[in-house]
Amino acid sequence: MGVVAVFVEVIAVLSLMLSVSLSVVVGPDRLRAAATDLPERLRMAVKPIGFLVGVLLLNSLVRNIGVEISWIIGTNITEFIYSLEGAVVATIQSLVPGWLTLYFGYVYVYGYAFLLVFPLVAAMLAAERRYLRHTAFAYAINYTVGMSCYLLFIAYGPRNYMPTLVEPLLFDMLPRFQLLTSQVNASTNVFPSLHTSLSVTVALLAIRDHETFPKWTPVAVFLAVSIVLSTMILGIHWATDVVAGAVLAAVSVWVVSSDRVASLVGRFQSLYGRWR
Amino acid sequence: MQSRPDGDVGVTRRSALAALSGGLAATSGCLSRIRALVGRNEPTTVSVSIKTLPVDQDPYAIAIARQLSAWFEAAGIRASIQPITAEVLYRQTLVNHEFDVFVGQFPGTFNDPDAFYSLLHSTYSVESGTQNPFGYTNLLMDNLLERQRRETGSQRAETVSRIQRRLIQVCPFLVLGFPNVIRAARTDRFSGWNGAFDPSPLNLLGLDRTASATRLRATTPDDRPMANLNPLMSSYRGPSDITDLLYDALAYRYRDTLYPWAATNWEWTGDDPLELEVTLRDSLTWHDGQQLTASDVSFTHRLLRDTSLASLSETVPTFRFRGRSSLVERATAVDDTTVRIQFTDCSRQTARQLLTVPVLPEHIWTDRTDRATVSGVDVGVTTTDALVDANIPPVGSGPLEFVSVSQGQTLVLERFDDHFLETSEETGVPSELADGPAFEELELEFVGSDSSAVNLVADGEADVTALGVGPTLASRIGRADGVSLNIDRSGAFYFAGFNTRRPPLTNPRFRNTVARLVDRGTLVESVFDGYADPAVSPLAGTAWLPPDLDWDPSNPVTEFLGTDGAVDSDRAHEAFRAAGYRYNEQGRLLQS
Repeated sequence: MGVVAVFVEVIAVLSLMLSVSLSVVVGPDRLRAAATDLPERLRMAVKPIGFLVGVLLLNSLVRNIGVEISWIIGTNITEFIYSLEGAVVATIQSLVPGWLTLYFGYVYVYGYAFLLVFPLVAAMLAAERRYLRHTAFAYAINYTVGMSCYLLFIAYGPRNYMPTLVEPLLFDMLPRFQLLTSQVNASTNVFPSLHTSLSVTVALLAIRDHETFPKWTPVAVFLAVSIVLSTMILGIHWATDVVAGAVLAAVSVWVVSSDRVASLVGRFQSLYGRWR
Repeated sequence: MQSRPDGDVGVTRRSALAALSGGLAATSGCLSRIRALVGRNEPTTVSVSIKTLPVDQDPYAIAIARQLSAWFEAAGIRASIQPITAEVLYRQTLVNHEFDVFVGQFPGTFNDPDAFYSLLHSTYSVESGTQNPFGYTNLLMDNLLERQRRETGSQRAETVSRIQRRLIQVCPFLVLGFPNVIRAARTDRFSGWNGAFDPSPLNLLGLDRTASATRLRATTPDDRPMANLNPLMSSYRGPSDITDLLYDALAYRYRDTLYPWAATNWEWTGDDPLELEVTLRDSLTWHDGQQLTASDVSFTHRLLRDTSLASLSETVPTFRFRGRSSLVERATAVDDTTVRIQFTDCSRQTARQLLTVPVLPEHIWTDRTDRATVSGVDVGVTTTDALVDANIPPVGSGPLEFVSVSQGQTLVLERFDDHFLETSEETGVPSELADGPAFEELELEFVGSDSSAVNLVADGEADVTALGVGPTLASRIGRADGVSLNIDRSGAFYFAGFNTRRPPLTNPRFRNTVARLVDRGTLVESVFDGYADPAVSPLAGTAWLPPDLDWDPSNPVTEFLGTDGAVDSDRAHEAFRAAGYRYNEQGRLLQS
């Protein structure tokens, strides 16, 4: 199966998951309202989504040349991470029964994509401007900080470092996904775990704004926990990457929630406006 | 190498002394005592870093490194492991000599004992490059290396045996074993996969087409061929290198016999100095349509000796082919198809090795003799464009020519229709290869890991895994439909190399004791899953190996300081003490 086929598969599954979950979480009332008012809502989404896409494009540019730069300026911290945590990942892996790893494999790919896309679409349809803005901004922070770390730190994941202890489960169980992940990510980009940071970000925002989508909170938290565990169970990330990812998530949510940051951004915007 | 202070004891002692000296400065007797104590160097513990490839690029290297590190730890030597991507690893180790221990696969096969010359001769120890990467220097060894170049017959065999025995004593590097490379290959489109990549991908010409397939699709976890196709750059070239298909050599070694390739024949025309007259095939053509003539051959040998062609104040030789190019005194084009090569003092047997060096086009490389201005290579001396150029698109004369490359993804080559294999009837090359490639195009695709490479082959998306895959995948390959499990003994051995420029690795006694911490039998079982032949010499498996150096469970040649694959701490400590080393209270080996 080629890369294209894998992409199509992921997108098909993702669309199915989204349509089911949106109808339940956002609810028929809000969806009906969205249908009548769609152009307006799309217009509302243009700015935050556009901002996020811009940041992602910038990051992908950096990512393309990043690996080579990283080998020139970066520090190889693989050994340091191993000296911190030792064989923790191997232990976690050994505790998980074989039949569950398939679940974690699917969660790592589909669950993650779903978890990230859902809040954006739901907030847009429900006209939750603040929720949408905060989610997009938090994603942008995660990506930018993560990408900077990838430039500064070179680290191979546990499956590349201790092959006799940690099995590369994702690729053994679901080898087709390797095509996807090697397209998206170099094997030296493991610190911090962006899977962890983005999932935890979504979960934290869901908890913070529980009233907006009450049914979403438990789903988001459950998925986020599964994804965090999957990064280690599949042998892709170190526990250290996961901790760093969680810290990054907390920081990004704090930044978007903070009044002080908001007023700072406001001041910059007005300055920018005057300058124009 | 990092040297850590021996715990905190030394530091506190020193600061305490500093305070003391302030208070008691009046007492001169005490001062001299302080001076004597402070003047002593603090003992530092030995710690080494092992550099190697990550699992994605080599299924065995990091597992070997981890096993070595465990054995070193048992002897009180702190060992850390640094996985590094191939191009950077080879640049750091082979070119810039930034390493303590380096675990990897030797980039090529030892066809002839003269390969030792460039690997161990002390004149190469100060240069950067694949030649003498370990920095080994020994006049006695130099003498043996020079002698074997001149000698023939049983005399040479004896000298080569002495070199090997000496190598095992002084250990600038440890041969660990020869891998049995595991590959997955589809049999429904092409057949004849055995040995198709070993020792050179030129053997792919021996494939037969079983269907109307025109495109041979190979996967590789090595992204270097998609970034650089310069046959002179050692940090980008591995065993079984793709540039062998792009560049013709005068002769090709196939199953241990040297066959004429770009040359039709050669004749010895003089003995003092040794002189060889090589006749090229008529109408050899470069991929850009220009004629390949004898002057390209003589140019190549001048370029290999000095890539600046004497335009710079110092000579800038190539890193690859260094040993072979050092055999040449002078190469002169007599006419369009005749080259006369004069050799330095060596035997015909040794001199013939020169013929396997690729021929480069003068009209392309003559513009690459300028001083390179931008380069990631820290050579400390001048380097030229020829040694840093990515050489894309490459212009060679080989059976395949360059079509396209996408950075980090795919390299596509196609059959060169003007190659002599296509245009001539009687070529004199081995009959298996004589028909040229059975495919129109060769596509080399980068794949992130061996497991997905096998999957692509099993799904019919690829024909073969160009590099070896891990032993755990053998059963999956065996189960797949229309896929054969190919196992080839590779001549590219795995080794652990020591940087003998850095203490304590400068000390042969230290290295020899470290060598006794390595149990090859255990490595082959636990790391290679049996898919390797343990060996102690690069010449194992050839007639050059003296019988006493033949590895055998009952004769491991170097005695292992332990049992059942575990190092016996007490015996290891004893051995290092006998070599003159000391341990601290924590059982850590001290440098001095």
